[in-house]
Amino acid sequence: MSSATFAVLGLFSDAHKIVDAANQIRPRKLGRLEAYTPYPVHGLDRAIGLAPSRLGRLVMFMGVIGACLALLFEGWVSAVDYPLVTGGKALFSWQAFVPVMFEVTVLFATFTAGLAMLFAFNKLPFFGHPVLHSQAIKGITRDKLALSIEASSAAFDAEAARQALIDNGAESVEIVPVPAWDRPLSLVGLLRTIAGIVAACVVAGAGLFAAEKLIPIVPPMIHMHNQPKLNAFHESAFFVDGRGMRPAVAGTVARGHLPPAFATPEEAGTLLSNPLPLTQSIAERGRRVFNDHCAICHGLVGNGVPLLSHAYGGKPGNFLSNEIRARPDGHYFGVLMLGKNAMPSYAADLDHDDRWAAVHYIRILQRAQNAKDEDLR
Amino acid sequence: MSPPRSALVRNLFGAVTLIGAAGSAGVYFSVGRERFWVNWLVWTLFLLTLGLGNLFLVALERLVGAHWSVPMRRVPERIASLIPLAVVLLLVAFFGVPVIFPWTYPEAAHNPILVAKAPWLNLPFFAIRLAVCATVWMLFYAFYVRGSLRQDESKDPAFTVRARRLAPPFMVVLSFSLTILAFDWISGLEPEWYSDMFGVYLFAGSLIAGIAAMVLGVLSLKGRGRLPEVQTKHIYNLGSLGLAFTVFFAYIGFAQYMLIWYANLPEEVIWFKHRIEGAWQPVALALPLLHFFIPFFLLIGSVGKKHPAPLRLAAISILLGHFVDLYWLIFPTLGPKPLFGWPELAMACFFLGLGSLQIRRAMGHGADMPVGDPLLAQGLEWQL
Amino acid sequence: MRAATTSLPEALRPLELLQGKVTPGSLDDQVLRFPAERPPRAWYVALAVTLTALGIGGLCICWTLYYGIGTWGNNRPVAWGFGIINFVFWVGIGHAGTLISAILFLLRARWRNAIARFAEAMTIFAVICAAIFPVLHTGRPWFAYWLFPYPNERALWVNFRSPLIWDVFAVTTYFSVSLIYWYLGLVPDFASLRDRTAEGWRKRIYTVLSLGWRGAASHWVHYDKAYLLLAGLATGLVISVHSVVSFDFAVSLVPGWHMTIFPPYFVAGAIFAGFAMVVMALTVVRKTMNLSNLITDNHLDVMNKLILAMSCIMGYAYVMEGGTAWYSANPYIQHTFLNYVSGFYGWAGITTITCNIIIPQIFWFRRMRRSIPAMIFVALAVTLGMWMERFVIIVISLHQDYLPSSWHKYVPTKIDLGILLGSFGLFFTLVLLFARVLPVIATSEMKASLPAEKEGQP
Repeated sequence: MSSATFAVLGLFSDAHKIVDAANQIRPRKLGRLEAYTPYPVHGLDRAIGLAPSRLGRLVMFMGVIGACLALLFEGWVSAVDYPLVTGGKALFSWQAFVPVMFEVTVLFATFTAGLAMLFAFNKLPFFGHPVLHSQAIKGITRDKLALSIEASSAAFDAEAARQALIDNGAESVEIVPVPAWDRPLSLVGLLRTIAGIVAACVVAGAGLFAAEKLIPIVPPMIHMHNQPKLNAFHESAFFVDGRGMRPAVAGTVARGHLPPAFATPEEAGTLLSNPLPLTQSIAERGRRVFNDHCAICHGLVGNGVPLLSHAYGGKPGNFLSNEIRARPDGHYFGVLMLGKNAMPSYAADLDHDDRWAAVHYIRILQRAQNAKDEDLR
Repeated sequence: MSPPRSALVRNLFGAVTLIGAAGSAGVYFSVGRERFWVNWLVWTLFLLTLGLGNLFLVALERLVGAHWSVPMRRVPERIASLIPLAVVLLLVAFFGVPVIFPWTYPEAAHNPILVAKAPWLNLPFFAIRLAVCATVWMLFYAFYVRGSLRQDESKDPAFTVRARRLAPPFMVVLSFSLTILAFDWISGLEPEWYSDMFGVYLFAGSLIAGIAAMVLGVLSLKGRGRLPEVQTKHIYNLGSLGLAFTVFFAYIGFAQYMLIWYANLPEEVIWFKHRIEGAWQPVALALPLLHFFIPFFLLIGSVGKKHPAPLRLAAISILLGHFVDLYWLIFPTLGPKPLFGWPELAMACFFLGLGSLQIRRAMGHGADMPVGDPLLAQGLEWQL
Repeated sequence: MRAATTSLPEALRPLELLQGKVTPGSLDDQVLRFPAERPPRAWYVALAVTLTALGIGGLCICWTLYYGIGTWGNNRPVAWGFGIINFVFWVGIGHAGTLISAILFLLRARWRNAIARFAEAMTIFAVICAAIFPVLHTGRPWFAYWLFPYPNERALWVNFRSPLIWDVFAVTTYFSVSLIYWYLGLVPDFASLRDRTAEGWRKRIYTVLSLGWRGAASHWVHYDKAYLLLAGLATGLVISVHSVVSFDFAVSLVPGWHMTIFPPYFVAGAIFAGFAMVVMALTVVRKTMNLSNLITDNHLDVMNKLILAMSCIMGYAYVMEGGTAWYSANPYIQHTFLNYVSGFYGWAGITTITCNIIIPQIFWFRRMRRSIPAMIFVALAVTLGMWMERFVIIVISLHQDYLPSSWHKYVPTKIDLGILLGSFGLFFTLVLLFARVLPVIATSEMKASLPAEKEGQP
């Protein structure tokens, strides 16, 4: 037990009396004045010389910060980082950002008000204050109002303070000593605290990690993994034949592969003409198609000399012959689509543009092998 | 105020009014009837909403049994004297209805939307609504204001009891009549448009304009030493009320705008398009500035609510904002460019002069504080 | 010096907010004894009932989590059913608490002191009940954290233009702010409890929770400022929260939903429903805990007047909605509003109007305002009416909107009803636990107003 006095407390029951007492005692400068009351007493803060709280300015500042941060964040998210037009609204649709901005402002301001008031301004939590261990505290939080003259210097006169309080109407006086700290913050205590925090973090972290790994793989979280839907290449109990992948219904026509509107190549020759213009790119496409699909039988120059042997017994047409040269483009198209003799239909192999490009190329081959003198000038 | 100065001020207001009257006649005959009636409507509504807003404050005090506002209550009672004046002006404005309201034009008979609204938008029913609203406003004005003035002499507490009892019905009546005013006289200018918040919008605007006028009145009287017993704590509360209703108006205005912006329905958006695009954009930007940002940041700190200078500035900003609000609501009916020239100034002189004369007349009646009110003493001793 | 109030006619005298002699000490003894005493048998019976309801709700929630939202009655087009109705209902109930503790504090209405603590607690419990529903209705609530904008491996952000995200922020903020506000108010009371309790585990808990509060005047200065600021912020917040909830509906194009009056209409409705719940709970609390001298008939009278005022505001809103629906000349809106009172769900609209507008009108009569059976009846009617109103707005508008081929009725399932029952069970369980463990009346606030009460100050 230390012999130094921390403060002298005078207990009152009446709010007016304590304010009057504070007004009387303050000019006498007996020590630092403080009061401990179960509720805020009107006028007491001024009587003991307290300045008004500056909390308001801090809260407003933090509120404005919150507003700006919210607006900037919303704008950055919606207009810069991942710009997505939703509902036809502009990317920086400030009208839509206002509600969240307001909420974040209030959030920042409130947390500042509450936490700053407790931690910064009032320095709470703090469990070691001498008054908490006094006799008077039971009355203070119940119905007694305590005026405290605290020792602010070595020259503190506890007796004078006591007398002043009694003179001004205090019902009782208590002298509160400075608590003795015979054990300062010990290393063991500190280590234990740190160990406790670390242990808590490890346990919490392990728990979260386990939860994060475990939760996604237990029901009901996995219910969406096994959905009653068709998966590619899987069987299906829904259909009688058990097939998941269904064949096309008879008569299905693929895009770009409408069945031809002609019955014979001659009819095609009268109906159709080459719709593609003869350009460099189409000519090269035609060459590619011809070399890939046609040259095997008709030869690279279209003369009917196949690149393969005659083993299969077919006689491919000679594009350079007069008879075939005289036929119209549509006829070539018709043979390509319907097939002729040993030649199968190439309708499935080639799309519309490929077919007509090949026809262009055949004409080019014919022209090349029947060049005239004028072509060279 | 010394008699010669008082007469000088009265003559000044009178002169301004006469000049304004002459100018207004000039507007009617030379500029155009449409512009004349639009100006008439804006100013009439300005004076009327100021008066109704203050009458609301008087009744609100009764409704909640507040004491702190009793010492200052004579100020809103006097500003409420604008109501009889504005009612007369509104009745005159009825003659302008066929000029500026599209649903009265012959083409309206071919517009299926207006035909569907015809059971409400027709002149006879309009006139009946106008008469009913005017009557109830006058009756409640007479009851509250004349009753309070009579109480100065009689000191009879029974009036205060009656005033309290009538406050709830008055609130009901005022809310519906202000809504009718808003729908009939403002949104009716673009009759195809609708917004069920509009009555609340006008109510919020009237309320905050009323408080602003009351603030200016109280500060002016206090500055001249005529309200010595009204202290900083009363002014502080008034400032807090002003802040609250500034925020309330901004909330209502923003909610209406944002909802219509969000859904983007053509029949609703067109009304805002007329008012925020092109030449109207500066006015649309001035409105939230005057009506919210300036008063909000002036009044948010405790300093602003206690000292006359920031309070006065905030009140002036709000009153300007209220006028800009009515101008912005009504003038687009004249065209895509905001018109402001000598016709507007002339008619401003006329109406402001009339309003000032009316309030001056009201200031000659009764004491500056409701001395007969039994709650006056408690109001003066009230603690924050 | 003090004005003589006895010379005033009775109607003008300040409300008597205390019955009999109340001193700070007697206040502490009366209110703070409950955390230390064993509760009466009735408390256990009530707890059993509420826990049963909670249990049923819990089972239904587990069923929903396991089998999915298909166990609810939601369908197309009524994609929002009981989930949203209950969410809006509970968030609304919370608003009365904030109004009483924050707005009435700003207005210096002293009658709020006796009921503020209880009302704030109800706010927090109501928000907890409300939060269950948006979390559950996501279908995979274990991903609910996706609603918050955190940098993630999908490089996705939330859609800040959606009112559903505004809701996330609003309700989260509302819950945090209410919790802070409530806790700050509790700190001096924890100090009182700490100093009343003998040494033991209880005293240690109170010591920690009181943060070492000692009632220093230098602390009260900052505390009062923080409390005032929080009251102002909470006022703005409470209006914004239910406005944001109303935006969920009003920004859409569903007929009957896109009405600009929704924000203040919803806020008024929330305060209305909340006050009814507060009145209902307080009539029970003051009887069973013998607090009638602190929560007097005058308190209930004033709250019932507020309920009446809110009812009138709701009446105005209904008239405006119906009137504007006609005025709009929009056949879809008109059809919807006719559906509100006629048609398959017309009984819901009639119930709403009766319970919300007609029944509370009995509060024009002073005797009704001071009669316990009357106010419980009205409070129950208002609670039912306000729940029904959300049902009307959500279900009736959705089940028949623009395209007749999409029209479809909505029928809630047993799971829906079970979860609703469970939410009531949760709410009242928390209320009962609160009454058992924490001071039901904010004794420090009450003590501050006792001197003024004694002197008959307004």
